[in-house]
Amino acid sequence: MGKEIIIQPVTRIEGHAKVTIQLDDSGNVSNTMVNVVELRGFEKFCIGRPVEELPRIVTSICGVCPWSHHLASAKACDAVFGVEIPSAGRKLRELCNAVAYTEEHILHFYFLAGADFVMGPDADYSVRNVIGIAGKVPDVAKKVVRCRHLAAKMLQMISGKSIHPVAAVPGGFSKVLTSEERDECLKMANEVLDLAKFSIDFAKKDIFPKYIEAVKTLGVIKTGFLGTVTKDGTLELYDGVLRMMQPDGSFEDFNYEQYTDYIEEHIEPWTYLKFPYMKKAGKLSMDLDNPIGVYRTNTLARLNVCDRIKTPLAQKEFEEYRKAFGRPVQLTLLYNWARLIELLYNAEYAIQLLNDPEITSKDIRIPVKPRAARGVGCIEAPRGTLIHDYETDADGIVTNVNLIVGTTHNNAPINMSVKRTAMDLIKDGKYDQGILNMVEMSIRAYDPCLSCATHNLDGRIPVKIDIMDVSGKVVKTFKN
Amino acid sequence: MQNNIPDYCIKPVLILGCGNILFGDDGFGPEVVEYLKQNYSIPENAEVINAGCSVRNILFDIILSDKKPEKIIIIDAVGMGRIPGEFFEVQIEDIPENKIDDFSMHQLPTSNLLRELKFLCNVFVKVYACQPENIPENVYVGLSKKLNDIIPEICKLLINEINQH
Repeated sequence: MGKEIIIQPVTRIEGHAKVTIQLDDSGNVSNTMVNVVELRGFEKFCIGRPVEELPRIVTSICGVCPWSHHLASAKACDAVFGVEIPSAGRKLRELCNAVAYTEEHILHFYFLAGADFVMGPDADYSVRNVIGIAGKVPDVAKKVVRCRHLAAKMLQMISGKSIHPVAAVPGGFSKVLTSEERDECLKMANEVLDLAKFSIDFAKKDIFPKYIEAVKTLGVIKTGFLGTVTKDGTLELYDGVLRMMQPDGSFEDFNYEQYTDYIEEHIEPWTYLKFPYMKKAGKLSMDLDNPIGVYRTNTLARLNVCDRIKTPLAQKEFEEYRKAFGRPVQLTLLYNWARLIELLYNAEYAIQLLNDPEITSKDIRIPVKPRAARGVGCIEAPRGTLIHDYETDADGIVTNVNLIVGTTHNNAPINMSVKRTAMDLIKDGKYDQGILNMVEMSIRAYDPCLSCATHNLDGRIPVKIDIMDVSGKVVKTFKN
Repeated sequence: MQNNIPDYCIKPVLILGCGNILFGDDGFGPEVVEYLKQNYSIPENAEVINAGCSVRNILFDIILSDKKPEKIIIIDAVGMGRIPGEFFEVQIEDIPENKIDDFSMHQLPTSNLLRELKFLCNVFVKVYACQPENIPENVYVGLSKKLNDIIPEICKLLINEINQH
């Protein structure tokens, strides 16, 4: 029996993961597993509650992307109640979504993934972090902090609360944006746009060129892609149709209410997290040479499936990116590049929305009445397509809930990218911190948000790890 | 917020209730903070936040901000093998050195960030912990009685801490 290398935890992702790499007798990688902890029991917890409570409750699922859950839940409630919300209410929701995206994407690029590039993947982990960035590029760090403050302040101004949002309600939005608030937000949004422009210029000039070889090789796998577009194929993050793209670039659009016709979930014995795959493929295979049914979500996927972006600066960057890398592009580290284009898009779009005269309208909400129904809400969370699916009885009480969160879609590809990277870099049993960090980088590119509930001060995670021999027999179990 | 800096960077004392209310006693920190806000007038020199699972964002901003609080008090449920409901102070120095501490968004082991605040940024950091009785594997909302019962006493202590600053 060969040796296992365990990387625990994978740092600078949202939550924790544990990677197990199995080596064969000659020291080469025979298998890898990414183990994560999933939030369990949430669906059951929701059953029996009035459905209108869910948009407020779901923000506690995770402190990382509360706005995405909040908005997907509000949309599912709209569908349950059978209402189309007023146009201004939708725009206010979209504005919050765009601003929250800027905050998230800035966080990821500078705090989570950026350290690998700014400090270098071989740098010691004690400096390869946000403190290291602050020391190496202090002026950039100041801009980053200021703009994150501005984004939080805008969200507070638009919605009343930024940490645990409550403003999106079934039937619309609950807080009017005054002209004065709009004017103040515009100044802040312009400053965030400046940082977005700076970030992509900075990355293209000082970051990506140095690592282009790593971009072309690290964790590269061949998959399909899932993302949301408008009916004419434009990138869309709040509401549109889902586009499932095959690895060869062909695609099919479908309404998100039909997601169960297109997505099936596979279960592996070594992890609680499910593995969604393309239902029409008939099965899931994570074989690196012949994957079946695997698709990816999040930034790389969204820029693969869309035909264009509706804001001018982001469209220009998108054209350059597509010309350089083609469609669909499979290079995993390009998630980071695509993320910066999305940052630019959201910064621009927030300004477009703020300049829309309707944004200060008082017609932002319509009344709703309970009924027995099913409602699906789907938005693009920063980390991937997020689906909330509710059913209620005639009194509006929840009878069934199903959630598919962004990171879950990427479960299979994350596992494949880790395997690819480990197989490429670990030879004859030789590895070092730089190599193991590159394995982590192939995970971080996906910006996974792994819901978890860690309760021990030393950071141990409540997870069980089974180590298997080549025949699949469990030979050792690790439990925290 | 003033001058585009959050109040939690500006006020001298910052109290952060951390934890996930969806996991039983893990919601202790948020429950303490909510009780404090509902039953006391928070003095002007303090900011009290139900940070839930988002504490890291706040600590990041404080570390990188020019202005910082003088004192940060973290309230959280922490399993340290004590009697359920026991309330105790954890020294940051005692938190095990562990790579996990780098960037955990969700829970207390943001201890590298706490160390940075204390030793590099000269912010006085205090961690108050309570031994949980029940942290379920599946979602469950509500504290166990032992933890619920000590909340008023802890809030008195916190108000004293603020007033003495």
